[in-house]
Amino acid sequence: MKKTLIRAFSLVLILALMLMSVGCSSAPAQELVIFSWADYIDPELLAQFTEETGIAINYNYYTSNEEMLTKLEAAEGGDYDIVIGSDFVVNIARNEGLIMEIDKEKVPNFSNLNPAYLNHYFDPEAKYTVPYVAGTPLIVYDPAKVTCEITGYNSLWDPSLADQLVVMDDMRNVIGMTLKSMGYSLNTEDPEIIAQAGEKLLQLKPNIRALDGDTPHEKLISGECTIGYIFTSQVSAVLSERPDFEVCYPEEGMGYGIDAFFIPANAPHADAAHQFLNFMCDPEVSAKASVFTQYINCNSAATEYLPQEFLDNKAVNIPADTLGETEFMQDISAEATEQMNEIWNAFKQA
Amino acid sequence: MRERELSSAPKRRIAPTVWILAIWTFLFVALPLLYVIGITFLEKDDVWGITNVFTLENYKNLFSAVYGKVFLDSFLVAIATTVLTLLIGYPFAYFTAKFPPRVRSFIVLLLMTPFWINSLLRLNGWIILLKANGVVNVSLQALGLIDEPLKILYNNGAMMLGMVYALLPFMITSIYNSVEKLDWTVVEASRDLGASPFKAFCTVTVPLTVPGIVAGCVLVFVPSMGLFFISDLLGGGKTLLLGNLIKNEFMQARNWPMGATLSIAMLVFTTVFIYLYKKVTGAKTLGGLR
Repeated sequence: MKKTLIRAFSLVLILALMLMSVGCSSAPAQELVIFSWADYIDPELLAQFTEETGIAINYNYYTSNEEMLTKLEAAEGGDYDIVIGSDFVVNIARNEGLIMEIDKEKVPNFSNLNPAYLNHYFDPEAKYTVPYVAGTPLIVYDPAKVTCEITGYNSLWDPSLADQLVVMDDMRNVIGMTLKSMGYSLNTEDPEIIAQAGEKLLQLKPNIRALDGDTPHEKLISGECTIGYIFTSQVSAVLSERPDFEVCYPEEGMGYGIDAFFIPANAPHADAAHQFLNFMCDPEVSAKASVFTQYINCNSAATEYLPQEFLDNKAVNIPADTLGETEFMQDISAEATEQMNEIWNAFKQA
Repeated sequence: MRERELSSAPKRRIAPTVWILAIWTFLFVALPLLYVIGITFLEKDDVWGITNVFTLENYKNLFSAVYGKVFLDSFLVAIATTVLTLLIGYPFAYFTAKFPPRVRSFIVLLLMTPFWINSLLRLNGWIILLKANGVVNVSLQALGLIDEPLKILYNNGAMMLGMVYALLPFMITSIYNSVEKLDWTVVEASRDLGASPFKAFCTVTVPLTVPGIVAGCVLVFVPSMGLFFISDLLGGGKTLLLGNLIKNEFMQARNWPMGATLSIAMLVFTTVFIYLYKKVTGAKTLGGLR
């Protein structure tokens, strides 16, 4: 009895396996494996891509750039067809040879991209990546409650803001902002300058009501805090709920980041990946994608498709001359990171 | 001869289960712990991860001023949490145990039900209650008691509230287990022999429920050193506790070896504390822990 059962079961298993292999061989290119943060691409656009091309999308997600790079290294640039990463990680991946050069002939829509977002340090010749979103942390505040004039980072130190301020819980961004307020680069590695920034940062503590990288917008919307230094999409969220809030483009210059698409060096479905990049560079698609992510749009041709509400949003539509000399946050030396970590711990502890 | 065979038989039958347990413990408790200990002696890699270079630097760094203060702060917060939960939890458990059995089990059910909901969600519930335009502030403003919303959240008080709220059930269930099993005839005997209710409570009830108190204190003290998300959510991320420090080392500084070293230090610290606690209270085992 038992033996018969086992035999029957094995038979079913073998049949199932055979069916599966038939399924695979009949449709080799009908899949695209995307690796990204959760909810980073509008699901409607993904469905539209599948509808137009017949390519099914397999959306895998990670929670941090670090996790993405570790998995990409383990797969030796295989397993995934489209990966999204932040500039500094893309730079590491490119230097490790994990990224495939984009065949521009297969991506005619590439020419729609705004040159301002191309040829940056992580891809100097614009050969490996397609910028997806750009963002810059901004100061946003309630003009009815904030009495002092807000012109830049230095305004955050104003004594009238005691126990009012929310900033992202992020070591590099907050210390970088302090360095900027002193007129130095975000990526300064000089230990003496970093130490000075550390002392200046400690004086900001009395103004800090909360450190929050995930939901600082909620603290501003609820009135818990009256001023915040937070990321682009969070500023957007504040403005959509509280249109009376003001945005300040810091006069000391802004930090900047780009998240970009790339195709891993050994992507199993490279053709489908190129098709997808071309799809995402389509002006209408790109406009929809930006409305979904609430970050700066990197596609010149998309502007006419962006809704007025998006164009009026000061967080995602920053005039090019105001944006001015933006600076990317890049990886810094281990010693400088260590020193910043000590400063950050002391700051939180204070 | 025959008898000896019989007596050794059960031992042989137990052996496989013991082996399974031993292998299980080795694979899922000892090995990961050894891995963590191993990492503490390595150097961090430039970007992230570890290198194969031996170093004692991580342990030396433990004695820096900032880490020392974090240890002290965490210790004080943990002690305060333990004392507060004990002060609230003991009367709660004591009077619960005095109810008739049906009411008792209903109260215990009410106590356990929130545990089916993720603790992050429950803490966010507190935020909705206490935030500037939350239920408490809006009600107080509607009643005309305050003009401006009170700043209830994002300070040490809010953090302590979250700590006590999250850990109180551990204290209550431990003490409840002890009080429920208490032989009340012993208490009656002391009353018959002339002790006042208060004296009977202090000299008979409390000593008999020490195992529950010890178990409750350990169950509250140990996690309260590591609950980083409460300080982040309700304390506004402004207080650095041991849990936050370890999280920072892994997530922000990308310094795995230092994170591992702090974890081991915390393990040693809590073990020593539990040992001292058992010494002081004279409890032989953590009886209520079961």
